[in-house]
Amino acid sequence: MGRRPLPPVPAIIPLSPPHLSFAMKSRILRLTVAVGLILGSALSTRAAATKLVVAFLPKSKGNAYFISCKGGAEKAAKELGVELLFDGPTDSNAAKQNEIVENWITLGVDVIAVAAENKEGISTALRKAQKQGVKVVTYDADAMPDARSFFVNQATPEGIGHALMDDAARLLNQEGEFAMITATLTAANQREWQKYIEARLKEKYPKMKLVAVRPCDDLKDKAQSEATALMSAHPNLKLIMAICSPGVPGAAEAVKQAGKTGKVKVIGLGLPNENRRYVHEGVTDSVILWNTSDLGYLTIHAGVALAKDQLKKGAKEFTAGALGTFQIQGDNILLGKPFVFNKANIDQFNF
Amino acid sequence: MNRYFRELSVTGALAIILLGLAAFAPAFFQPQPLLSLATREAPTLIVAGGMALVIITRQIDISVGSQFSVSGICAGLLAARGWPLPLVLIAAISIGALLGALNGLLVAGLRLPSIVVTLATMVTLRQGLNLVRQGEFVNLPDSIQWFGLSQAAGQWALVIFTLLFTVGLGVALRHIAAGRLVYAVGTDAEAARLAGISPQRVTFCAFVCLGGLTGLAAMMNLVQSPQIQPLSGQGMELKVIAAVVVGGVAISGGRGNLWGALAGLMLLACIAPALTHLHVEAYWEKAIQGGIILLAVMADGWRARKGGR
Repeated sequence: MGRRPLPPVPAIIPLSPPHLSFAMKSRILRLTVAVGLILGSALSTRAAATKLVVAFLPKSKGNAYFISCKGGAEKAAKELGVELLFDGPTDSNAAKQNEIVENWITLGVDVIAVAAENKEGISTALRKAQKQGVKVVTYDADAMPDARSFFVNQATPEGIGHALMDDAARLLNQEGEFAMITATLTAANQREWQKYIEARLKEKYPKMKLVAVRPCDDLKDKAQSEATALMSAHPNLKLIMAICSPGVPGAAEAVKQAGKTGKVKVIGLGLPNENRRYVHEGVTDSVILWNTSDLGYLTIHAGVALAKDQLKKGAKEFTAGALGTFQIQGDNILLGKPFVFNKANIDQFNF
Repeated sequence: MNRYFRELSVTGALAIILLGLAAFAPAFFQPQPLLSLATREAPTLIVAGGMALVIITRQIDISVGSQFSVSGICAGLLAARGWPLPLVLIAAISIGALLGALNGLLVAGLRLPSIVVTLATMVTLRQGLNLVRQGEFVNLPDSIQWFGLSQAAGQWALVIFTLLFTVGLGVALRHIAAGRLVYAVGTDAEAARLAGISPQRVTFCAFVCLGGLTGLAAMMNLVQSPQIQPLSGQGMELKVIAAVVVGGVAISGGRGNLWGALAGLMLLACIAPALTHLHVEAYWEKAIQGGIILLAVMADGWRARKGGR
């Protein structure tokens, strides 16, 4: 089941565009044969092994976020008895991602799971992989829809917006002024989140008031200055919500330096490592993101189920081992509600 | 009067904004947020001093933000390894000076245009840092926070040091022979050369000074928070150059002084918090800052034409 038939070499030749010269055609023919031979040998050496091979590609392999995803992926691979390959660029390099995928195709892996650095860029290589029978899923950052079977979607903008707004309301007992710090006023994802936050506010929390939205250009230091000004300009401010990751520690530092720990609460979308000390000091109440380990776990389960034909297009839900059942919207497998990191659980995460 | 027209007009504009805030948003003048604002801007003022030197010699350095990040992250990593504060400080200044020397060598030694050289070093340093750090913060030991002082004492120390330093540098620039050389080279490099000055050496020294001051500024930023972001300093070049130009330092070289740069920086630094206090949408911030820069450059152009006649 881990093997698939060798792509028939002659069938590929008619695909070469008709305008190519004879010399070029023959070069392509030779190349195709060569690739076929390599593939064939790779497959025959693997013929003995019955284990499925799943390749897991992060945006960059040194990044703590993806290492945390890999943790969950390894757990799933162990449970399912599949071999896991983990490789990625050392920096976020789209071209290098393509190279790695090409290598995996040559190696004859069964499943490729990708966090795409460049949506269009990676899709050509992924389509090629699919053509050769490799099952492709994406996670974290999607490729073009026709280049993969499913996208494991870690969080919808709606889910994030609602989680942030609900958490703010919980902390303020649904009453009082709060301000928002975003990356830039025009960033598409920030605007999307902001839209859902404001919709939720309007719908559910009439006694809360959003008094200002300030950009921090993704700079922690600027977020700190903005938060300082927000607190002095709005003496009744009860909470600062930062929806870009550097904004959360920046706002927390401002609150701490102003001596307003506890009086002005801080929440936001961010990474545990950047906020750990402020969460422990009680400056930041909670940091919202998704559970990266679960993301890796679910991705591997989905990829393997695809390869075993247990997961098909049009499915409405999917059960992934210990984590239970996940909803599928179209071709997106939803990881579900965002995860809230707080004093009680933040030390279980290192990214 | 006419000679200091630019410095006076910037100071006047600053006074108008502060008076406006006093009338419409007196909450702006609370001591803690103001001290915090001054502390946050202190490193920028140090860099602006160095930038004034470079611009007066008729050059420019747009890589200061990247130099700031690299010096800051390197110093932060050393501090995290347990290096004592004075050594970390020396390291930060040395790394900055070294990066400045690289720019200086390329500009003064190979006579390449400074805007292209520093554009290249800006991008290279920034990308190199991203490659190595992947955006990951450096956690700093508590012992270097505020130089080991209390928060208030540390903030006052930073602000007072910065003001004294700026005054000192300003006086040196005006009244010490080495300072006059900077003006001489910026006004007319050929005349300076005929007078026995080496314009290349002065230019090189100006870049090294700016680098060293940028390293110092990175250190002053480092002690202000328990972690440092590799992205820190991004966009700093714009803020610093704008402050210097708005403060009356002529981009064509040879003219300007540090109290103008000080007033220019204060003016630009007040815009963002002023808008927050006046409940104006953040969209206006950059438009207003851009407008101020445009006005300053137009004033320069107008003066140059009037002077030429």
